[in-house]
Amino acid sequence: MNWRKIGRIFEPARHSFKGGVMEFAQSPQAIVLNDCVRIYFSTRTRDTQGTYLSHIAFADFDRKMENLLRVHTDPIITLGSLGTFDEHGIFPINVVKYEGKVYAFTCGWSRRVSVPVETSIGLAVSRDDGLTFEKIGSGPILTSSLQEPFLVGDPFVTIDADGWHMWYIYGTKWMKITERETSPARVYKIGFATSNEGIEWSKRAGQLIPDRLNADECQALPTVIKIRNRHHMYFCYREATDFRNNKNRGYRIGYSYSDDLQNWVRDDGNSGIQCSTEGWDSDMMCYPNVFRCDDNIHLLYNGNEFGRYGFGLASLQAQQ
Amino acid sequence: MFKWVKRGKIFDPTGGANPPWMSEFAQAPCVLKFDNFIRVYISCRPPPDAKGQYESRSAFVDLNRKNLLEIVQVSQTPTLSLGLPGTFDEFGTYPTSVIRNGIEIRAYYGGWTRCESVPFNVAIGLAVSQDQGVTFNRVGNGPVLSFSIDEPFVLSGPKIRRFGDLWQLFYIAGERWLPNNGKPEPVYRIRMATSNDGINWTKHSRDLIERRLGTDECQASPDVFFSNGRYHMFFCYRHGLDYRNGNRGYRIGYAVSNDMTKWSRDDSRAGIDVSLEGWDSEMISYPHVFELDGEIFMMYLGNQVGRFGFGLAQLNGSLT
Repeated sequence: MNWRKIGRIFEPARHSFKGGVMEFAQSPQAIVLNDCVRIYFSTRTRDTQGTYLSHIAFADFDRKMENLLRVHTDPIITLGSLGTFDEHGIFPINVVKYEGKVYAFTCGWSRRVSVPVETSIGLAVSRDDGLTFEKIGSGPILTSSLQEPFLVGDPFVTIDADGWHMWYIYGTKWMKITERETSPARVYKIGFATSNEGIEWSKRAGQLIPDRLNADECQALPTVIKIRNRHHMYFCYREATDFRNNKNRGYRIGYSYSDDLQNWVRDDGNSGIQCSTEGWDSDMMCYPNVFRCDDNIHLLYNGNEFGRYGFGLASLQAQQ
Repeated sequence: MFKWVKRGKIFDPTGGANPPWMSEFAQAPCVLKFDNFIRVYISCRPPPDAKGQYESRSAFVDLNRKNLLEIVQVSQTPTLSLGLPGTFDEFGTYPTSVIRNGIEIRAYYGGWTRCESVPFNVAIGLAVSQDQGVTFNRVGNGPVLSFSIDEPFVLSGPKIRRFGDLWQLFYIAGERWLPNNGKPEPVYRIRMATSNDGINWTKHSRDLIERRLGTDECQASPDVFFSNGRYHMFFCYRHGLDYRNGNRGYRIGYAVSNDMTKWSRDDSRAGIDVSLEGWDSEMISYPHVFELDGEIFMMYLGNQVGRFGFGLAQLNGSLT
């Protein structure tokens, strides 16, 4: 794969959100509309205790991905009510067009006591080209189960003739607090589920993508695109601890491919994209989203500090 | 109206005779029959921690089958460990419902975690015993029945049954959290799921029992007993708030069904209520009905939801 970095295309600090300077533009995810490419992302506010809450906003670009047309910061989807799975944030959101509607698969956050958070996957539907979304219920569509005990999140959904496919992550371990960490570290892996209609999902059980670093490797945010007859997955991965400030242990972009959706070959060496030597994506790359627009295939991603400074774009170059 | 004759309190965990982890409470009794004794599974608690919070542990009390007032053995260690950090049952296993499945015994239980905005959340776990119910091991680190679109939180109070070819799980599902001036309280109602194997469940996604005390009524302990061609459910119900006040606390309700899906509630037939004085004079809850050697009995809890133990009643007549 051969990606050409276009550069950072959205800087949150240049925009405002809920009366303050926008902080973070995480996990950009695109849908292509008639007159624009709409890129959803998660940004943050702080609650009365100073703790972050993630909210969804979007930015529209022209279909050549050359110009930012507008930034939309009015509420798109509300956070959940007291005690629900998405009470304390939605991050990320995955959007899929289907029969004139836009389906948003959300990763909802709620806070815990012994560990910082729990997450589950929800569904909301838009009938106005993704301007506003209505949740189909107050609970999740995919959550913890016997062998995937917590931290079900990061959905990515595709629809084809075989039905609905969802790649997502699930937690396998909360680690004891070490000297370097202020709260328990988590380990999570990429899983896979299928559905006939996008609401009732069957987990296909188990880790889909082999570890590269070690058994405690954290794998996040899978995104999959089919090019000719091969499925290509991008995701990000990191060490379980000391990953925030140590650039050697932070998020990198990983890559796998499959010809049958069952067997995946991990092949990071051929991902075709790396951290830059300097600048906004020199320490970390994470939260990739691959999408097709007209004749081009694009990759959105975050850089340093998990997207605090915005997101960038790369474009796939023609294969030799 | 049924005629239940109270036989008195059977087991009181208070008084210091038991290990520290069962120093208070003997909640949600559930009976498993053996040749010479019956094993009554209960949930007990050690003293609360510095913040006043309790954990709940699974235990049993064996009663002489020929004389249910005689205790022949009390479990010396909890029958099930607490869950790992960050899992759904890290802070308690309560209540428990057991069933034989060939040579093994399965326990379905409510697993408790602690949350930030609300005090707790509960999902239903599954553990299996290979030693006649003395010790249980969980089938997975996650729940066997977890949250869904219209059952967003607080899945608890499992009662496992096998009528006919299917497995039935009666349980409660949280509907709303009442803010209650910063001390949130859940509203929950009785529901059911069915399964071919007791592991993969299909929720019926509807409330089985109509409300009697208004929209904030809470229903628990849906104990279903088949007799004379009909399904008889004894359960308990209370007001949503201020339920520690005796007049608003738990009472035992009754409903009957021909098919387990359509239920007719008629609390006036329950035939058991609080006593004028004594250990069950303020509250009566968590009924469990069982047949033993031709007689029908009910175990139940008294004041403060079983803080001072459980009692026994015997049916005069039959359930029709």
